[in-house]
Amino acid sequence: MYRDMGLANASPQSSQNDATLLALVRRGDEHAMASLYDRYSKIVYSVALRVLRDPASAEDVLQEVFLHLWRSPEKFVAIRGSLGGWLTVVTRNRSIDALRRKKPSTTIDDLSLASQYDLAVEAERNTMAEKARAVIFRLPAEQRKTLEMAFFDGLTHSEIAEMTGDPLGTVKTRIRSALTTLRKAFLA
Amino acid sequence: MSTVGHYDQGDLALFAMQLLHRNEYAVMAAHIADCTYCRQELAQLQGDLAAYAHTVDMHSPPALVRERLLNQIAREKRFTPIERLEPERVEPAHRPIERPERIERIEAAAAPAPPPLGYSTRRQNYSTGLGSGRYLDTDDRHDEQQPSVSGRIFTRVFPWIGWAAAAGLAVAAGDLYHEREEQRVRLAAQAGTIDHLSVDAAGAKQLLDTITDASAKQVTLSTTSGTSVPAVPQGRVTYVASKGALIFLASNLEPLEPYKTYELWLIPADERDSIPAGTFRPDARGNASVILPPLPKGIEAKAFGVTIEDDGGSQIPTMPIVLAGN
Repeated sequence: MYRDMGLANASPQSSQNDATLLALVRRGDEHAMASLYDRYSKIVYSVALRVLRDPASAEDVLQEVFLHLWRSPEKFVAIRGSLGGWLTVVTRNRSIDALRRKKPSTTIDDLSLASQYDLAVEAERNTMAEKARAVIFRLPAEQRKTLEMAFFDGLTHSEIAEMTGDPLGTVKTRIRSALTTLRKAFLA
Repeated sequence: MSTVGHYDQGDLALFAMQLLHRNEYAVMAAHIADCTYCRQELAQLQGDLAAYAHTVDMHSPPALVRERLLNQIAREKRFTPIERLEPERVEPAHRPIERPERIERIEAAAAPAPPPLGYSTRRQNYSTGLGSGRYLDTDDRHDEQQPSVSGRIFTRVFPWIGWAAAAGLAVAAGDLYHEREEQRVRLAAQAGTIDHLSVDAAGAKQLLDTITDASAKQVTLSTTSGTSVPAVPQGRVTYVASKGALIFLASNLEPLEPYKTYELWLIPADERDSIPAGTFRPDARGNASVILPPLPKGIEAKAFGVTIEDDGGSQIPTMPIVLAGN
């Protein structure tokens, strides 16, 4: 099962938590960096691949995100939330930037994230992913599609409205409703 | 924005996904920077989006990417300061400004014990060679004194260079030893993991080879009623919805025209459109298989079907369904 989340190459440091590994990365420990890569490369690559739909571009984003972490580990502090969640959101944003062929717009400093899940723990990561999939699966089709177009395809609400023929307000409401449903499911 | 001056979740979600126009984004960013409530809500939304991001189908990156990244970070390896080499700093008031710190430290180490208090004047320090270069701060410094001072420093420093180098080597050797031991432990653990994975992979490969081998004998067993039943096309699907894993084995299939192919369909339980689950052509004996086609995870199946499509497959099944089962 652990292979599902990219832990096939787990090093002896893989059982350490993210904060410890990050502290080691700050000291220049390559093995700690390898452990973080083994822990999160699969989700980072999968998100990039989903957005970009091109393996080579997804590999570039994957490498860019982890090199950024290696070069500036001090810029991620625990107060900003879970490293796993942060990496996925940063990856999505970088991928959208790549899709739009524009300069990276997300800096490490401007992203805080609240998550009740400890994504460093494989079991919790799997639980969260399964739960999220189930919630999204049960969403009304139009909500699911709208959120997908916004998050994974990087379409603005105006573009979505234009493509679907729905009013702007409806598009925004659908995105909000979908995310609210997701959050409620996790709080339940 | 709401009546109490906060942005609603819809706007914040668009902000979080960076889907706003530059001007709107700048206005919101300025507000969020000063609004604790909106900042907290934004952090919650980022958490929601992170959870949503985990709904993607998982794909492993190529192993080469890992290797490339680790090579890159090895090239960019950082060295943290070693605490035990931290110098005992000279008092700032006495610290020579224009001299390299390393020479200062060595000189300090080379200097004999400080003189009695009665000799600790600037002039006396200078004349006895004590004070770790403090004389350079004195106002009565004379240019003509420089050559003799440099020579004296060199004479005092030179014998210590060997000891300093030896001490440095000893520290480096100790570090290397510890690093080597850690590497050995890691390697042992990784070797164990690799062995385990290799066994798993070999088993999986053998299973796949057996299923897909064209020379394999495939026999369908049935009750021994004594009457011979003519061979009819049939297929068997093994499907795990939560993993999106599917294995399909078929036998006694009719041969197809060159530009046609069979296509397997997953018919979802939630009335969604049928999902193509792979194309296949039977071998000379009518056997065929579809092994682990790319399918989304979590799709419960109501039924499965096989149609005949143009070569290359189709996104919509073409009637009639030649094989079906639920």
